[in-house]
Amino acid sequence: MAGSTADPAVATSSALARRLLDIETSDRSSWLDRAACQAVIARGLPDTRGEPWKYTNVNRWYDVALATHDPAALGIEAPDDVLVVDFDDPRTRPLTAAHRGKAFDLEEHPLAAVNGLLLDAGMAIVVPDDWHGEAPVRISDDGPSYQHILLVVGRGASITLVEEACGFTHRIVEAVVEPGGQLRHLRRQRPTPRRECSLVAVHLDRDARYELAQSSRGAELRRNDVVVTLAGSGAQVTVNGAWRLIDREHLDTQVAVNHVAPQGFSRQTYRGVVADRARAVLNGRIHIAAGAKATDAALNTKNLLATDSAEVYAKPELEIFESDVQCSHGATVGTLDEEAVFYLRSRGLSDKAARALLVDGFLREAIADDEGAARLEVVA
Amino acid sequence: MSLLEVRDLHVNVDDKPILKGLDLTVEAGEVHAVMGPNGSGKSTLANVLAGRPGYDIDVGSITLDDEDLTAATPDERAHRGLFLAFQYPIEIPGVSNMEFLKAAVDAHAVHTGLSEPSAVDFIKRARATAEQLHLSADFLKRGVNEGFSGGEKKRNEILQMLLLEPRLAVLDETDSGLDIDALQVVAEGINAFRAGDNAIVLVTHYQRLLNYVVPDHVHVLIDGRIARSGDHTLAHTLEDEGYGWLDG
Ligand SMILES: Nc1ncnc2c1ncn2[C@@H]1O[C@H](COP(=O)(O)OP(=O)(O)O)[C@@H](O)[C@H]1O
Ligand SMILES: [Mg+2]
Repeated sequence: MAGSTADPAVATSSALARRLLDIETSDRSSWLDRAACQAVIARGLPDTRGEPWKYTNVNRWYDVALATHDPAALGIEAPDDVLVVDFDDPRTRPLTAAHRGKAFDLEEHPLAAVNGLLLDAGMAIVVPDDWHGEAPVRISDDGPSYQHILLVVGRGASITLVEEACGFTHRIVEAVVEPGGQLRHLRRQRPTPRRECSLVAVHLDRDARYELAQSSRGAELRRNDVVVTLAGSGAQVTVNGAWRLIDREHLDTQVAVNHVAPQGFSRQTYRGVVADRARAVLNGRIHIAAGAKATDAALNTKNLLATDSAEVYAKPELEIFESDVQCSHGATVGTLDEEAVFYLRSRGLSDKAARALLVDGFLREAIADDEGAARLEVVA
Repeated sequence: MSLLEVRDLHVNVDDKPILKGLDLTVEAGEVHAVMGPNGSGKSTLANVLAGRPGYDIDVGSITLDDEDLTAATPDERAHRGLFLAFQYPIEIPGVSNMEFLKAAVDAHAVHTGLSEPSAVDFIKRARATAEQLHLSADFLKRGVNEGFSGGEKKRNEILQMLLLEPRLAVLDETDSGLDIDALQVVAEGINAFRAGDNAIVLVTHYQRLLNYVVPDHVHVLIDGRIARSGDHTLAHTLEDEGYGWLDG
């Protein structure tokens, strides 16, 4: 047939969209604007032709998304005084009204629209103004397929969120950090044969701080989207990521740091070790809007290839619309320094022990052991 | 039986002959200085003793305590008691100096059948030894050699030697780049290590260090061979007259 054959990818994606829209939406789906979610899905879901999904075959995730899903309970532990309430709870309505859609744009994160329609568990966590304490909020245990966690850190409050591995299909962690508040976020992702996607979306008010330490083992398909908006002046963000992938594991990390207000500070550091036929993708974007004066932003990513067959696609992406800024970036892909291996062996370490120690040290440039590097259980 | 015996060593690097028939015998309790002009093969000798990859032994043998190490891996040589202080120590960010030192000492303990020292005992010993070398406790917490000055790196090598207590220490230009104070500290470290049951091969370009660590034997390496050997006075002759008179 000459000429106008339909693009099979488009056909697949719109068929998927129709099937998704036919699924009975969850009662909780009013959390995100149901109409907006439906509109995003109807307009077409992402496919592998789009740049953000170039390296991750999202069709494989749709297979899971369309399968019957698991409505297990979501386990959240929190210190006293920190409110944990279901989205159905009347107390969360004012929060919804105040914060819904604040930290991410549905159009840019269409899988969040799927999450919005099929939501199994939606929980709001509210940290009161000026709250300080050692005890973290902990999200753990096997959870349901579609989750949305909204964390509001009050003015001047400071808290740690520990996110353990959990068998979700799609999870949204959305955080709004009010002026002077601080959120430290530890994400530990274990190896899994699952296909899962997640979105971490953070909105920082004036002088608020956010620190993410994410250590990831691979999955059959794992996609982590992170978007942080420095919306108030003097906000600070540190995003640190370390990963170790083996076999045919796949990890796609997409991070966007958006400087909107002046005097913002951001640091992104990524270290990865990729072996066998595994594939790691890192796209780190720094966006500096006009008017975000005196911004100081930096991104640094290094990957070690343990075998020739491993794949790494790592790139920084800069979009700068303001001249009064400092912005630096660096990306390297390499192998272990054989001089360093010899140095350690000359001190009596076996070849294997030397390589393991070097890999450990390499990953620790991004993530400390207590933040999860030790859990990457590195063996070279 | 000698502690170290090097016999007729021929070594190629990138197919280029560097050592061309070198013999060296070191007895327990001795300090040997190996001197020579730049490019004469001193570091090649030090590296080949430690088993650095890429240094192919064409002919010859290396024997330590009657054990043939010619084909041994670098870690096997270390377990037998061989230690090389690097001319250019490597920086390893992310691995703390303390963790590195403990890993090295533990690796030796495992191979000598001793139990690993407890963390507390080890930290005490490492701190005391660092202090002896005028290295503050901060150096033990930092990444291995990370951001150390040249002199600090060299002292860190001596720290490793003192903690590992090797049978044979080969020190490659450990004196270069040191100011006079640091040189004395390093020399004191070497003299503290010097004992009847071990031996030291000092590779150096200058005789300066030899004023503080007086060698039993001095060898001059020229174009891959030992051109002359003598006692410590040979170093002074070289200092006064240079290497030119030994050529050809
Ligand atoms: N890794 C190497 N690759 C290529 N050539 C080398 C290497 N190491 C040493 N050489 C060469 O071997 C010779 C001896 O070098 P070296 O042993 O470093 O001398 P010295 O330590 O006495 O200054 C020099 O010509 C040097 O260029
Ligand atoms: Mg040299």
